[in-house]
Amino acid sequence: MSFLEVAYTERYTKMLRPLAHRLEIHLKDVFEQYKRIDRVSVRAKSIPRFVAKANKLEKGVPKYSDPFNQIQDQIGARIVTFYKHDVEALASEVPKYFRHIESQLIVPESENEFGYEGQHFILFLPRDIFDDESREEESISFFELQIKTLFQHAWSEAEHDLGYKPATNLTSDQKRRLAFTAAQAWGADEIFNELFQQLNDSIEGQL
Amino acid sequence: MELGSIHSYLVYPGRHLEEPPAINGTVVNHSGRLFEMLKKVFESAESECPHDIAFSADENGQQQNGCRDSILAYLKKPDMTHGRLLAKRLQAVTTHRSGLGLLFLMTGEEKSETKIVVSRFPADSGILAEEREKGLSVEFLERIFMKSATSYKAAVYSGKSFDSDFWRGKAGDKQINSAESYIASYWIREFLNSDFLTPGEAGTRRFANAVRDAMNRSGDIEVKDEIASLCRLLPGMKGKVLSAKGLLRHFQVSAKTQEGIQSSFKPERLFDERFRFVPDELTKFIAFKTVELDNGGLLTASTNRFDSVFVRELVDSATSRVKFSTEGTIVDQRFKKGGS
Repeated sequence: MSFLEVAYTERYTKMLRPLAHRLEIHLKDVFEQYKRIDRVSVRAKSIPRFVAKANKLEKGVPKYSDPFNQIQDQIGARIVTFYKHDVEALASEVPKYFRHIESQLIVPESENEFGYEGQHFILFLPRDIFDDESREEESISFFELQIKTLFQHAWSEAEHDLGYKPATNLTSDQKRRLAFTAAQAWGADEIFNELFQQLNDSIEGQL
Repeated sequence: MELGSIHSYLVYPGRHLEEPPAINGTVVNHSGRLFEMLKKVFESAESECPHDIAFSADENGQQQNGCRDSILAYLKKPDMTHGRLLAKRLQAVTTHRSGLGLLFLMTGEEKSETKIVVSRFPADSGILAEEREKGLSVEFLERIFMKSATSYKAAVYSGKSFDSDFWRGKAGDKQINSAESYIASYWIREFLNSDFLTPGEAGTRRFANAVRDAMNRSGDIEVKDEIASLCRLLPGMKGKVLSAKGLLRHFQVSAKTQEGIQSSFKPERLFDERFRFVPDELTKFIAFKTVELDNGGLLTASTNRFDSVFVRELVDSATSRVKFSTEGTIVDQRFKKGGS
């Protein structure tokens, strides 16, 4: 077991998992009055995934010189909503309850591409999740929050799982198939969102 | 932590000026009375700066902040040139209302921890009176920087990693006449390009939760009455920056009610954290007030209108018996499922 793995295992057990649990309770409490939230989940980054990310190379050199401080998604939270409209509405609520240092709507770079989508934030861990005994100053500072529709969530989960299979070099045909599923998920989101807006407008028009 | 480098810059107002005045600076020696005064400012910065703050993301939502970048550049190489970047930044947001100021940048290192204190002393004017052999000489003096440790603005940051730390810090304003809104806009938002670590809604929500819990937990009618009165007055605090402790002291809430509310804070230390008060958030949590009488009666109305909807009359002070009366047209009535 490498030093990195030993050190992260200790952090994972003693710090990240308890914090993730308390953060999930806090997030559920903050967003409980919002409609059409399918789930709120928080996880501590697993040991194999942290080690893999920490050892990542970029142009032949390690991407992270200080992975324990540089990797900001050691705790990751996700809110899954029904429609794209809800993603936008929730994204505008997040800064009211959490201070962010990053807020990005992630979409494929080109209009000819389909792939990963979602609203991402890097947020300060709320001080509410540290009890009187826990030492806030020794904790990590940030967590990642993703807000996704059901289809974005389903696609990213499957894609993430396939990406971590032993044979990670996908063929051209496999890449095309993945892009196809992303396009299908994108299309389903668009149509559900349109239907939601139309039906909402017609209800409001009747009032 | 020992005080290391100290640089000082004379910063004239330069907001909206195409050619702002030049900024002169100097290295401050580690001896003498000025050094002793600055050493105290450096050492006590954490306790003298009550506002927890965090740098803001840039306008594109990226993890980039001009002020943080300048602070990190100075920390990596604390010299006149890098310090001047912060002085220029201060000048660009300084109006004539804020006036001339003397900026001090102080750093220190201990083990792997680095700390920086940024402070600004305002200039004042005064009269120098000197007794001479043939009488008294008086002279008007400008550009006096108060030695008093009660007249400066400051911010302090510390950390071990330039990558992940130095995003949050503490800020304070020792200038007695500075309004809370002034420190927030000039020092925190404009110069430090930061905001309070706890957003107003989050702080108000936490406070409202504690107030509601204290109300529901207490068996003391005086505490309940005091909390109800407090909830009617709180909307007047819209936009004010205070801690829960400060809010309760402002309304001279009794010690036992304060204790009840403080013990409802989880963790309790957040009772002292400052935030901008947002009344709308309070009404999400404390929208209705309900009074239950020993005869089985339940009276409910919105918190801020309860006392105008139900008129209360003391019937017997010895037994605390009261009579409520109200008048209106019935618009709805409901049955609620009873307990088993």
